[in-house]
Amino acid sequence: MDFQSLLKTAPIHPDVLQQSLWMIIALPLLGAFVCGVFGRMMGRANVHLVACSAVAGSFILSVLAFWATSHADAGVPTSVANAFGGAPSRYALWQDLGTWFSAGDFRVNFGLLVDHLSGTLLLVITGVGFLIHLYSTSYMEHDDGYWRYFAYLNLFVAMMLTLVMGDNLVLLFVGWEGVGMASYLLIGFWYTDAAKAWAGRKAFITNRIGDFGFLIASFLVVLLVGAFVKQANDADLQPVASTSARYSAGLEQRGPLTFQGLETMARALPDASGAVKLDTPISSGPLEGRTYGGVLTVALLLFLLGAAGKSAQLPLYVWLPDAMAGPTPVSALIHAATMVTAGVYLFCRMSFLLVMSPTAMATVAIIGAATSLLAALIAFAQDDIKKVLAYSTVSQLGIMFMGVGMGIFWAATLHLVTHAFFKACLFLGAGSVMHGNGDETDIKKLGGLRKEMPWTWVTFLIATLAITGIVPLSGFFSKDAIYHGVHHNHLHGLEWVSGFLYYVGLVIAACTAFYMSRLYLLTFEGQRSPKAKVAHAHESAWPMTLPLVILAVLSVAASVYAFPLLANSKQALMENFLSPVFSAAVGSRGDAGIAKAAGTVALDTSLPSLGSYAMAWATVVAGGLLAAFLYMRFFPAQAGVPAPGFARLIRRTAQNKFYVDELYEFLIIRPVKFLSFVLFRVVDAFLIDTVVVRGTAWVTARVGSALRYVQTGDTQAYAAVMALALLGGVLYAILKVL
Amino acid sequence: MGFFDTHLLNLVIFLPLVFAALVLLLPGSEPGQLRTVTLLGMLVDLVFGVWAYARYVPGGPEFQLEYRVPWFTEFGLSYHLGMDGLAASLLLLTVFLGPLVVMASTTYITHRVKEFHLALLVLQTTMLGALVSLDVLLFYIFFEAMLIPMYLLVGVWGSEDRQMAAVKFFLYTLVGSLLMLVAIVALYFLSGPSGGRSFDYASIYNALLGANQELARCTAAGTCDQLGGLARTLHTWGPVMFAAFALAFAIKVPMWPVHTWLPDAHVQAPVAGSMILAGVMLKMGTFGFWRFAIPLFPVATQQARPVLAALSVVGIVYGALMCLAQRDIKKLIAYSSVSHLGYCMLGMLALTAEGATGSAYQMLNHGVSTGALFLLFGFLYERRHTRLMADYGGIAKVMPVFTASFVIITFSSVAVPGTNGFVGEFLVLLGTFKSNLSLVFGVLAATGVILGAAYMLWMVQKVFFGSLTHRENQFLQDLNLREFSTVAPFLALVLVMGLQPQPFLDRLAPSTDRFIARASVGTPGATVDESKLPIEVQPLPTEQTAAAPTLPSHPLAAAPALVPSTNRP
Repeated sequence: MDFQSLLKTAPIHPDVLQQSLWMIIALPLLGAFVCGVFGRMMGRANVHLVACSAVAGSFILSVLAFWATSHADAGVPTSVANAFGGAPSRYALWQDLGTWFSAGDFRVNFGLLVDHLSGTLLLVITGVGFLIHLYSTSYMEHDDGYWRYFAYLNLFVAMMLTLVMGDNLVLLFVGWEGVGMASYLLIGFWYTDAAKAWAGRKAFITNRIGDFGFLIASFLVVLLVGAFVKQANDADLQPVASTSARYSAGLEQRGPLTFQGLETMARALPDASGAVKLDTPISSGPLEGRTYGGVLTVALLLFLLGAAGKSAQLPLYVWLPDAMAGPTPVSALIHAATMVTAGVYLFCRMSFLLVMSPTAMATVAIIGAATSLLAALIAFAQDDIKKVLAYSTVSQLGIMFMGVGMGIFWAATLHLVTHAFFKACLFLGAGSVMHGNGDETDIKKLGGLRKEMPWTWVTFLIATLAITGIVPLSGFFSKDAIYHGVHHNHLHGLEWVSGFLYYVGLVIAACTAFYMSRLYLLTFEGQRSPKAKVAHAHESAWPMTLPLVILAVLSVAASVYAFPLLANSKQALMENFLSPVFSAAVGSRGDAGIAKAAGTVALDTSLPSLGSYAMAWATVVAGGLLAAFLYMRFFPAQAGVPAPGFARLIRRTAQNKFYVDELYEFLIIRPVKFLSFVLFRVVDAFLIDTVVVRGTAWVTARVGSALRYVQTGDTQAYAAVMALALLGGVLYAILKVL
Repeated sequence: MGFFDTHLLNLVIFLPLVFAALVLLLPGSEPGQLRTVTLLGMLVDLVFGVWAYARYVPGGPEFQLEYRVPWFTEFGLSYHLGMDGLAASLLLLTVFLGPLVVMASTTYITHRVKEFHLALLVLQTTMLGALVSLDVLLFYIFFEAMLIPMYLLVGVWGSEDRQMAAVKFFLYTLVGSLLMLVAIVALYFLSGPSGGRSFDYASIYNALLGANQELARCTAAGTCDQLGGLARTLHTWGPVMFAAFALAFAIKVPMWPVHTWLPDAHVQAPVAGSMILAGVMLKMGTFGFWRFAIPLFPVATQQARPVLAALSVVGIVYGALMCLAQRDIKKLIAYSSVSHLGYCMLGMLALTAEGATGSAYQMLNHGVSTGALFLLFGFLYERRHTRLMADYGGIAKVMPVFTASFVIITFSSVAVPGTNGFVGEFLVLLGTFKSNLSLVFGVLAATGVILGAAYMLWMVQKVFFGSLTHRENQFLQDLNLREFSTVAPFLALVLVMGLQPQPFLDRLAPSTDRFIARASVGTPGATVDESKLPIEVQPLPTEQTAAAPTLPSHPLAAAPALVPSTNRP
């Protein structure tokens, strides 16, 4: 049996395995429950055992599921029938656990889907997740809240798995908010420190702003699907081998927000035949008169807001640096490797919608580039080892957004994976540094760790080289694949974006090299700082160094996926592997793809030339060398000489993160607080309650006490009033009669 | 046709009253006995309530477990009970809260224990009665009678400013309901020719239906000047009567701007009062809109809909903003109720299946999550006797179980997916977007998602996190077994209702369908399912015995639980 056919023969047959997909989520969820409820009684070792084995079990199942997606019986790949009548989803497993809720036409099912995209992420989440659990057993060995910690961590893994396995937007949203909740709990893990608890809250609320966009976008998509079903005829759905009736039946069965249904609609939309095209106005309902393409663009931009919240992009990136208040392994798992990439995953998952709107694509790409550049600049001046890495995460996520925005989805996914490896390695390395140095995070007070922490040093160095993009390491290839795509893909009507963003990307690469070299050099090279907390650092125990080594190896090895190793195709390995997922959007052999049909993006499939490789490499090396020169030679030589004013000003501005937090505080938070205070004092307490409510009572009381004087008790006066009234009545009657 | 087919609802309603009589006989000096007997009564009632809920068949006739006997026939009155899906669900919520309220007050109430439990039991009866009354006047009687025990709960067992809050609560709600009484009497006179008049809900609705349809047609055509008869009366006076109903219920909900009784009443009420107020009594307002105001006056509803929807959205955003300005925890929770009930109203006014289902579900959710919030805060208040956030801080360290419970309920309150709050809020917002209200309503209402998280987490932060700033908080006891077993059902329900909402929604679905059909009568251009419009109920038995209905051929004669497919003949 040769290697290829081994890959195509899963140890557990897909038909069997897809009945058990729920267990991938259930295991860590069970772990969270056990650790959270019984953790304190079980003791440390048992909690470690439960938490790690839950994730390990999930990892094993993920590997099996991943393997099963590639399974082929007699050359026919495993596939999932399309309930909406279109082509089946190839290389996928699917399990439907029944209705979650339904009302009216709306329905959501607990549907779990594993295809090559979510399968890849499953491996990253459970694999890196397991390593980080292992690492945490040592890192948190002195913490009393260990059981809480592992319960939250397991909960996070379960939610992240829900996010990637959900076969519809609502289930994805469950994971989306669930990871936000777990992140809130973990950032504020050391809640007795008010600042840390605030950081958790800030993260949750910033994410909520994004979720607001996500929710509205989902509703718009529901409306869009509803309008499409009403308006489309069989000719629309004919190219996807479906009919209106079949599509409606699919909706009834699965609900309007499943990815399969949306993909089928997306394939039908740009087609020239039929009644509905992208520029067709919607005929009825709340969106009447607006075009399909227009609504789609708005929905995608709102999804971008949601993704910006979760993936820390402009304008919502501010929570991520503060989120470093959590334990370092948490930063590695949640705020570097998995949760923050959810936005990238979302757009990859919905690539078929994204490619129909060049405006939305350009916005995604530009937001990504702008965030990336800004974060890289801020990272220049940060002295906290975790803060530098946090901004570097923001910056790298920006690069992934550039890739997604320019339609080079496979490269963005590859970068997501490689970034998970090397950034987790960097964060865990930082954790190891902190662990060995009495929780010191200021890189100015470290230095010279190279000899004292050899394993940490060597893995950190490899990961640094990977993230800066030095040739044989994975970061170089994944990043360059994105840059190449950005350069050569062209958005219809927005051609300038490609060239512009490519050069911005090169600047970002140089900046990355600069700040990462600075971080590395100040921490590991040179002399040990005299201000160090402990005289001699100690290397960490094996549960901490082993994950570092594995991640470092993966950061090197993952570059394999960027090579065109296939005999029958000149595509990169990853591109080929993910093509069943992205073929709807960008096309593949025998499938034109939506981008071409809609004429929105001109996609390029060439491989990067050696020239562009060299250029990217030279940029990176220049950035790194500059940092080396400045921090090894220039600044040490200048010690004691006061820096010029402008330099200090720039430094201060960058150190204070360009005052963006202060700006938000001033423009949004304070006005809202002030508004609520004024409304409470003026409208609620004064106008409504005092003037109107108590006013009514007061007027009633006054009127009553005024009328009191009529009640004299004087019989004669009463008789007089009676007589007068009678007389008046009689007079009126007479007048009426006359 | 067994005894329970006809009398189950009677049992559910009046069991608390029977136990109240029992409590009355017990000596006031034995608080333990009083509590036990009350708890027992509530538990037995819970059993019967759950049974009634389980016997409700979604596909069956509209009103099930009906019971009808003549009562003041000369006034067209009858004692008529029956429940549809919404009433059954709210009934379940009410009986669910009953025992928990008693358990929550075990140590909280120390004086006038006997009277307190009497008030609780009577209150339970009136609330359950209001939910299942099918006679408008009977509903009104229960609706008003509810005020008295609640007034006592706030006024006698409340905190320092209890008198003011109780009077404010009483008068505020009375103003609206008196106007409603006028409207009810007017409806009586419209319900038929002299001699054929009735207070029965079905008779009134069916009598107005034709006129409402005619009115809707002419409103669409703009030819309402030539109307005659009942339609003309409705054209002139319908909006006024709708306004009277709407005001009474809007105060109860409470909608902005008639909400200011709520913070005071909540703040002053004892834990039991707050739980019942938030859990059930506010739903009487939304329930009233659902059952009476909107179906009886669909055309007026249509005219008032933008205004009411706008008020709901204002309530959502404004209530949330109010929360950000509070320093008193109970007040914050009270204002959050204003915000949450805004979602209920908005979903109802969206007149879409999603919105109405979400609205009904949100009623249940709010009862669970806000009831639990008040319960939990009650435990804290018992320990520290202060409601100010500034007096707490860092108590997660000393009360971990309490904190964990509170945080879970908080997540439910801010509608994190997986908890019950999400399903309701999602459906309400989706329904609003799908409705023919402008998208602005949906977008503004969705900002509540952000603000809700902001104020709830702010409060959690202030109370639980940070360092222990007050020496008094250093030795706070964590929840004891009794307290935890009071909270545990809420925690369980948050997850069950969040992950398995469909059984609950299935029971709401027939009510929502009918509600949408009836409310859409006034919507121009809406396609109305005519078969869902008329209300079919038991006819009034002619003989004077309080027995089962005489006609065995009636649809209810076949026990619905056995033959679920038996629909209307």
